[in-house]
Amino acid sequence: MERVLEIGGVAAGYCGRIFVRAGADVVRVEAGMRDPAWVSDTAMDVYLHAGKRSVGQMSAPLLQELAAAADVVVCEASNADAIDALGFDGWSTPLKLAITPFGRTGPKRNWQASANVILAMGGYTQLMGDPGRAPLSLPGHYVEFQTATLGYMALNACQLDGQNNTIDLAMLESLMALSQFTTVRWHCVSEVRSRHGSDFWFVVPSNLFACSDGWVYINVVPNFWDPFTVFINRPELLMDPRFADNDLRMQHRDALHAITAAALADLSKQELVARAEECRIPLGVVQSFDDVLADPHLAARDFFEQVQDSEGVTWRSPGLPFQINRESRRSRTVQARATRSGGIW
Amino acid sequence: MSGAVDGPLHGIKILDLTHVWAGPLSVRFLADLGAQVVKVEAPYGRGPRVYPMAPIGGWLGGEPGTEPWNVNAIFNKLHRNRRSLCLDLKQTHGRETLLALVGIADVLIENFSADAMSRMGLGYDVLKLANPQLIYVTMPGFGSTGPYRDRVAFGPTVEPMSGLSCMLGYGPGEPRNSAMALMDPIGATHGAAAVVTALRQRESEGGGAYVELSLHEGGVAFSGPWLIERQMGGNPMSTGNRHPHMAPHGVYPCAGDDQWVALACENDDQWEALCAVVETLERDMTLPLRRQNEDEIDARIAAWTAPRAKQNVADHLQNAGVPAGAVNAAPDMLADAQVRERNFFVAYERFATPMPGNPIHMAGLDPGQWSPCPALGEHNDEVLSQWLGYDVDRIHALRATGVLLDEPPD
Repeated sequence: MERVLEIGGVAAGYCGRIFVRAGADVVRVEAGMRDPAWVSDTAMDVYLHAGKRSVGQMSAPLLQELAAAADVVVCEASNADAIDALGFDGWSTPLKLAITPFGRTGPKRNWQASANVILAMGGYTQLMGDPGRAPLSLPGHYVEFQTATLGYMALNACQLDGQNNTIDLAMLESLMALSQFTTVRWHCVSEVRSRHGSDFWFVVPSNLFACSDGWVYINVVPNFWDPFTVFINRPELLMDPRFADNDLRMQHRDALHAITAAALADLSKQELVARAEECRIPLGVVQSFDDVLADPHLAARDFFEQVQDSEGVTWRSPGLPFQINRESRRSRTVQARATRSGGIW
Repeated sequence: MSGAVDGPLHGIKILDLTHVWAGPLSVRFLADLGAQVVKVEAPYGRGPRVYPMAPIGGWLGGEPGTEPWNVNAIFNKLHRNRRSLCLDLKQTHGRETLLALVGIADVLIENFSADAMSRMGLGYDVLKLANPQLIYVTMPGFGSTGPYRDRVAFGPTVEPMSGLSCMLGYGPGEPRNSAMALMDPIGATHGAAAVVTALRQRESEGGGAYVELSLHEGGVAFSGPWLIERQMGGNPMSTGNRHPHMAPHGVYPCAGDDQWVALACENDDQWEALCAVVETLERDMTLPLRRQNEDEIDARIAAWTAPRAKQNVADHLQNAGVPAGAVNAAPDMLADAQVRERNFFVAYERFATPMPGNPIHMAGLDPGQWSPCPALGEHNDEVLSQWLGYDVDRIHALRATGVLLDEPPD
């Protein structure tokens, strides 16, 4: 079984999480104080660390010894110097991944960053929120999880090729690599993108709308305009010159939003979903976390794993977004932390 | 074959039948790592000869030119390091040609709706017969089973179903959508992760694989910590730009129109560093106390940042040991000293368009080898002759019958 040594915070933890589900033996080193997460440490343990073994903070020689016994090291630190201070470059592990906010080189390699700083510098925050109000930072761990997944991909590509290698992965660049069209639109159209609330802006109507018992999001790309008029029971709009094509719908955005809002306001989420399915309209309901946990689709697909925490209580934790050969999601356990590295491998 | 670059996936043959965002981005990561990728494109896969509207990202060079389908900036951004084969899969010979390619490919990846491949007679059962070793990756929005499987799924409509909309916003009861279709890049990274996982599994256990990825489940997976916290009795809800375990944590106005800086204090040391810069703050405040007084703290920070330029604020705070960064718009991103030093944006594409690079820095990868997005059908002859050994006459026959194209039909 492949041995993976995981050191660091949420990004390293998510990378290790995928390795666990791919069948690796993952040992996590608790490197001291944890990064502040969006949830309690217990919830984070259940989500990130089930199925791993865990050891406490250890001296540099012990860490080097453990790294030497691993096939892969995933090491996340607060900046480039912090990676160096761990002795990363001296470890003899064949395949090593260093995750830092800005990378191991460059003038900002030792800048400090939390996820909201990376989101801001990466161009995301500028685009989220309402015009005329402060931009919104994306809550949660998108930055760390996405960086981790890219790191996992690169490590496995190297394993596939039998390569020994050392990977330098920056959260900022990971985020920018995933960007939608912010920089190309600036270069090709000379337009700086800004934020428009929940409005997707470039196709109309695409926005959040209130209904009688909650909210729904509708994303009417041009091909869906005709069925959309049926969906809102306003087929005569097909003949309305204000809405003849997407450019015109953009020009008359407010009028079309008002028509749409009025058409949806008195209907329930359930009624709208049924209509959307009938008319083949892209529509999504705003779901609370209770709704997501009770979602019949996720249940039918057996998406949640059963995870037991260190107290023996079982929780439902999301599986990976991909399945190979429809393998069933397994039950896992969060193990109590071992105190020494001896006997780990 | 031309098109592939050096990297650990060199020699892995991928047939890319993806479209829009999640699928092509997923394959871009694999191509950047050296996979030999053939983009199998439908005749109208890049749109018609005359575009009804300008593409969202604009045209490379700013103008549609005589071949607008080849200068859609977003499409080009997603399709470097590939060969293009334009094949009409609605025709029998088109499907036969694809199956011949499947016979020698390692991976086929698509992100059509759940039944689209089967409706074309190209479901996994058929592909598996052509190549039992094939890794088949399908990325329907809601997966291929379950009650939502036939729903139309786009990133922005899947996002609220993940729970994220309840956390994103200015406060509880005021949900927001990112309007950035974030489910797509989540699907993209996990699609690439799935491919390498399946390839390694094939290497160790033999046999091909059916790999399924749902955009919906990607989004729900990213809400995982909140979903567990909720089961534990917590009640996660939107708090604007604030954070449950950091204070201050926010976005603050700077000099100029719509200019902002983001900062956070993860611990008391960083708080003290901030207090040394923003002298109106009171040093002796623990996290619980700071959280109780966030309105006042935020007001004092904003008063300090407001007259200052955002990049100067970020530099000043970073020098003091406080995590901070400017809220960057596109020109700021391209000009950032860090990404420039690391050559992140790469101008390999036409009109020197800077394209986001590969975040994977390691020996053996060289963006200098990258090739721009090919024109539609640019490699028809090359792929069919080099991969399948088709001779000139056979290729000509496919072209003559409209199976093989290099521009959208009239």
